[in-house]
Amino acid sequence: MKLSWRLTWMAVVFVAMFALLFTRLWFVQIAAGETYSRQADDQIVRLDSSLAPRGNIIDRDGIALATSSLEPWILVDRKQIPAEDEELVIQQLSGLLGLAAVEVTSAFEQAGSGGRFLLAGVNTDTAFYVLEHLDELPGVGIEEVPVRQYPQGDVMAHVLGHIGRPSPADLEENPKLDPNSTVGKSGVERYYDDLLQGIPGFEANQVNAVGRVLRPLGGEPAEAGATLQLTTDIDTQQVLEDALEEAVRLANQVKVTTGEYTNLAERSAGVVIDVTDGSILAMGSYPDFNPEVFVSGLTQREFDELLEDKVFSNLAIQALYPPASTFKAITYATAVEERLFPEGVSSANQLIECSSRLNAPFTDASQLVWRNWTWPNDDGLQDLHTSFERSCNIYFWQIALRIWNDFKGTDREDVIQDWARSVGMGERTGIDLPYEAQGIVPDRELFDEWLDEQPWRVRPEGWLGGDLMQTAVGQGAVLSTPLQLASAYATLVNGGTFWQPRVVSRAFDVDGQLIQEYEPEAIRNVGVTPATTNSLLADMRRVTSAGTAAAAFSDMGADAYLVGGKTGTAQMGQECEGIGEARVCKERDNTAWFAGVAPVDDPKYVVVVVVEEGGSGGRVAAPVARHIMQFLLGLEPTDIVDTKVEGD
Amino acid sequence: MAVIARTSSPAVSDRRRPTPDIILFVAMVVLSALGVLMIYSASRNRLDALGLDPSSEMVDQAIFVAVGLVLFFVASLVDYREWRDLVPFIYIVTLIGLGAVFLFEPGTARAQRWIPIGSYQLQPAEFAKIAVILVLASVLVPAREEGMSWRRLIQALLVVAIPVVLIYLEPDLGTMLVFAFIALVMLFVGGTTLRQLAVLLAASGAGVLAIWRLELLRPYQIERLQSVFNPSSADPLGAAYNRIQSEIAIGSGGFFGKGLFLGTQTNLDYVPAQTTDFIFTAVGEQLGFVGGALVLLAYGVIMWRLLVIAGNARDRFGVLVVGGIAAMFAFHVYVNIGMTVGIAPVTGLPLPFMSAGGSTFVTMAFSLGIANSVWLRRSPVPGETYIV
Repeated sequence: MKLSWRLTWMAVVFVAMFALLFTRLWFVQIAAGETYSRQADDQIVRLDSSLAPRGNIIDRDGIALATSSLEPWILVDRKQIPAEDEELVIQQLSGLLGLAAVEVTSAFEQAGSGGRFLLAGVNTDTAFYVLEHLDELPGVGIEEVPVRQYPQGDVMAHVLGHIGRPSPADLEENPKLDPNSTVGKSGVERYYDDLLQGIPGFEANQVNAVGRVLRPLGGEPAEAGATLQLTTDIDTQQVLEDALEEAVRLANQVKVTTGEYTNLAERSAGVVIDVTDGSILAMGSYPDFNPEVFVSGLTQREFDELLEDKVFSNLAIQALYPPASTFKAITYATAVEERLFPEGVSSANQLIECSSRLNAPFTDASQLVWRNWTWPNDDGLQDLHTSFERSCNIYFWQIALRIWNDFKGTDREDVIQDWARSVGMGERTGIDLPYEAQGIVPDRELFDEWLDEQPWRVRPEGWLGGDLMQTAVGQGAVLSTPLQLASAYATLVNGGTFWQPRVVSRAFDVDGQLIQEYEPEAIRNVGVTPATTNSLLADMRRVTSAGTAAAAFSDMGADAYLVGGKTGTAQMGQECEGIGEARVCKERDNTAWFAGVAPVDDPKYVVVVVVEEGGSGGRVAAPVARHIMQFLLGLEPTDIVDTKVEGD
Repeated sequence: MAVIARTSSPAVSDRRRPTPDIILFVAMVVLSALGVLMIYSASRNRLDALGLDPSSEMVDQAIFVAVGLVLFFVASLVDYREWRDLVPFIYIVTLIGLGAVFLFEPGTARAQRWIPIGSYQLQPAEFAKIAVILVLASVLVPAREEGMSWRRLIQALLVVAIPVVLIYLEPDLGTMLVFAFIALVMLFVGGTTLRQLAVLLAASGAGVLAIWRLELLRPYQIERLQSVFNPSSADPLGAAYNRIQSEIAIGSGGFFGKGLFLGTQTNLDYVPAQTTDFIFTAVGEQLGFVGGALVLLAYGVIMWRLLVIAGNARDRFGVLVVGGIAAMFAFHVYVNIGMTVGIAPVTGLPLPFMSAGGSTFVTMAFSLGIANSVWLRRSPVPGETYIV
C-alpha cells in the first residue's frame, strides 16, 4: 500500500492527537489518580453529625436538676434548596415560626451557602406540618434535637449555670465544636462542660450530586454526657433561696421602719457548707433567673434587662464585701493562738474598758479617734469573750494597735493577715465553679503596690496603723466573698483543716457507672489548737444566745444553745465610678452579714448570709441564718421577722 | 458476501475477491458493545431512582446500534461512487434539514438542534457531516492533485460555509468546529498548496478573532472555551464544573478502575451528561487506565484502517471521502475524550459509537459503511495507482 505524502501528513497529525490523549489519560489516571481519588471520596460521603444530649445534673439524693429531652427542631440544608426557591422557603419558614423574615435570612447567611443548621425548635404540631409539606419546603427537615431542661425551674440556678450556643471564641478554641451544639456559659454547666458535653454522633451517608442520601455507610450514635451528682441538697437549697428573698424584704421593711437609709436592698447571697469536707450543701444568690430561658434563646433586650439586675452573677462566689465584724473570728483566733492581746492585757479573760470611742495613740505621736458601734454609749468592762459576743470594736482595735506598736515594719506586723490567708481569705477557694472572685487581705506590700499602680485607692502615706486596725475588724480594704467567709469559719470550727469547697461529688456515665469520684480535698491544715476552736465556738454560742444576734435567735428558745455565729455590719464606703475629675461617688448603706455554725457542739455546717446594703447584721442577716439553721437541725424554721434590735 | 461477489466485474473474476474490512467492523462492534454497557452502568441508578426501568436507556442504545449496523451494511453494498451523482440532492436535503430545526420550539432560549420524530429527536447536524464530506469530495475531485486553483478553493469553502452558518444559528459550536476540521483536512488531501493552506489558516485565525471581538459566540460557549485554559478561576459550579467532575471521575479510576458498576462519580450523577457527551468518564472511572487505553486503541485501529482504505482507494473521490471520514472521527474522538480529561473545551461532541444517541450512532456507522464500500471497491491490483 502506498500513501501519498498528504495522507502521510494527515496520519502524522492524527497520531499526534491520539498521543496527546494517551499522555493526558496517563497523567490524570496514574500520575494524579490519587489526588482525584481523594476528591471523589470527599464529595460522595457526607457526614451528618447528631448532637449529644448534655449529661444530667442531680442533687445529692439523685433528684434531677438538669436533664435533656429530644425535641423537634427545624433543620435547614441550604445545599438542597435551589437558589431560586430560597426566598420562598425563607418566607414560608418565617410564617411557620412567627419570626421576622430578616431573622430567618440572617440565620441563613450565618450558616453560609451550603450550610446545614438548626433554625429553631418547634412544637409537635408544627413539626408534623413540616413533615407533611416536605415537598413544598426543599432543604427543610425536622430533626430530633436534645434540649436542656431544668425540672426544678429557677432553684439552684446559679450553681447549675446556664447554656448557650458557642461563642466565636469558644469555636476558635475548640474547632471541633458543632456550632449548633450548646455549651455551658456559667455554673456547673460551664465548669464541667467537657464532661456534660458528651460525644456528638455522626452518620456517614453516600450522597449523590444533589445531596440525596443513597446509602448509609454507618456511623456512631451520639453519646450522652456524664451525669453529675452535686453535693447540694434541693430541700436545703429551696429553704436558703426562699430565705434570701425574705432577707431583702426584711431589710427593706427595717429601712422603711427606721427611715434611715439611702438605698433599698436588692441583693442577697448565702452559702451552707459542710465543715467536715468542704461540700456545699446549698448556695444561693438573689435575684435569680430561670436557666430555661436560655434554652430557646432570649432577645437581646430580655438579656440586657436580666444583666442590669446582675441576676447572672452568683453573688456567693462573685460578690466582694468587707466582712466587717464577722472577720473578728480571725482576729480572735490570732489573738489566742499568738497570745497577742491589747496593750497591758495578758490573757483572754482580762478585762478592758469598752468605751464609746477610741483615741488611738500611735508611737509616732499621731492619733486617731474612732467610735465604737455603741457610740455614744460605753459598753463597760469586757474581755475577749464578751468583746466577741458584743462585737466590741475597741478590744479588736486594741489588738491591732498592740501588734502595730510592737511589730511595725517586721514580718510579724502581718500576723492577723497571715492567719486570714491561712483560713482562705484573699485567695480563690478553688471551688469547682467559674468566675470566682479573689478577695483582698491588705498589707503594707499591697498598699505599696497600689501606690504605684492605682494611687487613687490609697493615701499617699501608704500602709499605716489605722489600716491594720481596720483590717482587724474586717473593714478598710478587706474584701471577701460569702464563700470565702464560710470557708474561713469552716476551717476555724473544724479544727483547722481547710477543705476545698466543692459542688460536684461524682460523675456517672450514661449507664449509671461511676466514672469519677471527686474526693473532698484538704488543702492545708492550719495550726488551730482545740482550745482555741472550743473557745471560739463557745463565744459564737454566746453571740446567738446573749450577744448581738440574741434577738434574732430568741425564737429558738433553748435551742439557741445548739447554734452559734457572728454578726457583721459592713460599712460600704462610697461607690465611685471613674477616676480623677470625672470621679462620681454615691453613698451606700451598710451590708448585713451573719456567719453561723450548727450544731455548735459538734460543728457540721457553716451558714453565711449576706444582704447587700441590707443594714444591720444582727437585725437583718441573723434572722435569715437562724431560719436556715433551724432547718439544718431538723427544727421547724420560724418566720423571718424584724426583731427591732440592732446588732453589729 | 454473495451480493458483493455479484457486483464484481466478471473481467476480474479471476482475481482475489475483495473482502470487507473485518478489522474495522470488529473495532466498531467492540466500541458499540462497550458503549451500551457503559450507558447501562451510568444510567441505571438515575432511572431506578425515577421509578423507571433501569435498562431503558441501554435498550434504546441497543436499538440504535442494530439500526446503525444495518446501515453499515447498506452503505457497504452501495457503490460509493453512486453518491457522487446524488450530491446536489443530498446537499439540498441537508440544508432543508438544518433549517427545519428552527420550526420546532422556535424562539426558546435553548439551543435548537433537533427535529422531534415520535419519542425520538433527530439531529440533522449529524447527518450533515456525511453530506458535507460527500459534497466537498465531489467538489474537490476535479482539482489538480498538487495545487488547486483559488477559485476551486473558494467554491469548496462556500459549500461548507452554508451549512456551518445554519449550525451557528442553532447554535452548536462543536459541530461547527468538526466541519471546519473536516474541511481543512479534505482541502489538504485534495491538493491545496502549502501557501493556500497558510492563507486559509491565517484567515481562520482572523475569523476567530473577529468572532471574539464581535461577540458572536454565546457567553456560555466562551466560558466553556475559557474553562479549558483556566478551570480553577472559573466558577466551579458553572462552566468548569462539568470538566472538574469529569476529571475527578476519570482520575479516581486509577490504573484498573473501580470495577463495573462500582463507579461512584458516574453512578451517582456527579458527572453531567454521563451517558452522552461524558460517556468516556464512565469508562475511565470504572475500567481505569486499562479500559481507557483500550478504547483509545480501538479508535486508533479505526483510524489506521481508514488511512489504509484511503491509501488504497480506487479513485480520488474515494480518497477524499475516506479522508473526510477519518478527519471526522479523529476530531470527535480527540475533542470528546480531550474534554473529559481536560485538554479540550466542553463542546458537546459525542464520542463515536459510545455516546448514547441515535443520530450520531447512525451517522458514524453509515460513514464507516461508506469507507468499507471504498475498501470493497479498492484498486484490485496492489500498488496500482488510483484513477482520477
